Amino acid sequence: MNIKKIELFFFGILFSMLAQLGHAEAFHPGGAPGTQTIDGYNALGPKVEQPIEFPHYTHANVMKINCMYCHTYARRSAVSGIPRLDKCIGCHKMIPEVRDRPRIKKLFWYWDNHISIPWKKVHDLPDFVRFNHERHIQRFYFQDKRPVREVCGYCHGDVANMTTARRVKAISMGWCIDCHKKDHQISKVNLKTTNGPNDCWMCHK
Amino acid sequence: MSLNNLIKNWTSFRSRRPYLDQYKNADYKWAMVIDLDACTGCNACTTACYAENNLPVVGKERYEKGHAMHWLRIERYWGEGESVPVDMVPDRGAQFLPMMCQQCEAAPCEVVCPVGATHHSADGLNTQVYNRCVGSRYCSANCPYKVRYFNWWQYADTAWPNPLELQLNPDVSVRSKGVMEKCTFCVQRLRESMDHAKTDGRLVRDGEVTTACAQACPTSAITFGNLANPQSQVAKKWKNQQIALEKDEQKKDENLRGYRIFEEFRTYPSVVYLERVRDLEA
Repeated sequence: MNIKKIELFFFGILFSMLAQLGHAEAFHPGGAPGTQTIDGYNALGPKVEQPIEFPHYTHANVMKINCMYCHTYARRSAVSGIPRLDKCIGCHKMIPEVRDRPRIKKLFWYWDNHISIPWKKVHDLPDFVRFNHERHIQRFYFQDKRPVREVCGYCHGDVANMTTARRVKAISMGWCIDCHKKDHQISKVNLKTTNGPNDCWMCHK
Repeated sequence: MSLNNLIKNWTSFRSRRPYLDQYKNADYKWAMVIDLDACTGCNACTTACYAENNLPVVGKERYEKGHAMHWLRIERYWGEGESVPVDMVPDRGAQFLPMMCQQCEAAPCEVVCPVGATHHSADGLNTQVYNRCVGSRYCSANCPYKVRYFNWWQYADTAWPNPLELQLNPDVSVRSKGVMEKCTFCVQRLRESMDHAKTDGRLVRDGEVTTACAQACPTSAITFGNLANPQSQVAKKWKNQQIALEKDEQKKDENLRGYRIFEEFRTYPSVVYLERVRDLEA
């Protein structure tokens, strides 16, 4: 009887270990295995194929266009927004010298055929997470007057040096909490500090 | 509420009680007043709640098994001496009482959750974090109001066949099977207006945000607002009815109508009901 019990016990342990191994393979908070972000998180998102390889480098770095010129809603709503096609066209009608480039041709093809560009999400949060762009932009860009590329870069990485944007930060819960634990000075003159909200219902819905 | 905090403050977490003027200097304490004299039992609030919070309609069979998912229900009562046979519903004389999560200050559900999926938020809400819930249903067993609902089925697959899924509210998650659900005072609306208010550097104004049930009520029986703001409608009504949040026994004028349900259980609920004045002669 005793031997049987011990055997069962060992089987139990072995089984639970195997189960854990299986789970370790399946569960990666935020991305593919084997890729290390600069924050030390093992979570880099998948490479997303976009319909047009939008050169963020040219727009944000060379032309120095503010991120919020295209991602208009970031400062006043939860989502940052993807620009409408007429916004792209509005500028590119005025730039005839790049009209023959393959990407711009593709852009105008969508415009002429009345099809909106099927952009794909790169930073895709789960449905049960509420993230608010407005509060982060208002706090760090408008209140603290930090450079916009730095503020957006906290979560999106150095997009201005990318072509097609790629997730470089582990947008996982632990990573968010890490930042929310930090004490930020309220303003440059005020020594008082605050940190981000640390209540489950602030981010989860 | 990290795990470290939770372990460190275990005693206070397990024995939370409201104390005098707890929300005096706080920005928010959400509360509600329901005037039963105005309530006609029309169920508009229930319907609004279904639409706002992505609640599935479970159907007759599952309803009979007790699997209903309404976060806000209308309870019917008949007065004393009007006992009703089981198979008969009288034409008149019913009293209606909308019953939703009372957002207790000392919530019996919070102290028994084995994983801390339900806790008290800083603005006085009794939260339920669906992702953390493991479905032990202990909270439901401990709730004296019976307003916690367990999700028995994977309704997300069946309750909204194409194209009905387009009616879902994107600000609320579609809960999966095996979690406990409850009224949240429409927390998605609260958070949105609190965010905008903070951007403007002010507090949420009275009447700026309201719950779906209060918005839909045709007789304006439901008043929702910030109890921490003494100028708000809710705070005035609480004060007029001489009801204090941290007291379980309200010693007050007999002619006042306000009361909280099961106050004697010392749950300190955040919802005040104004009782129905009935004219039995008419």
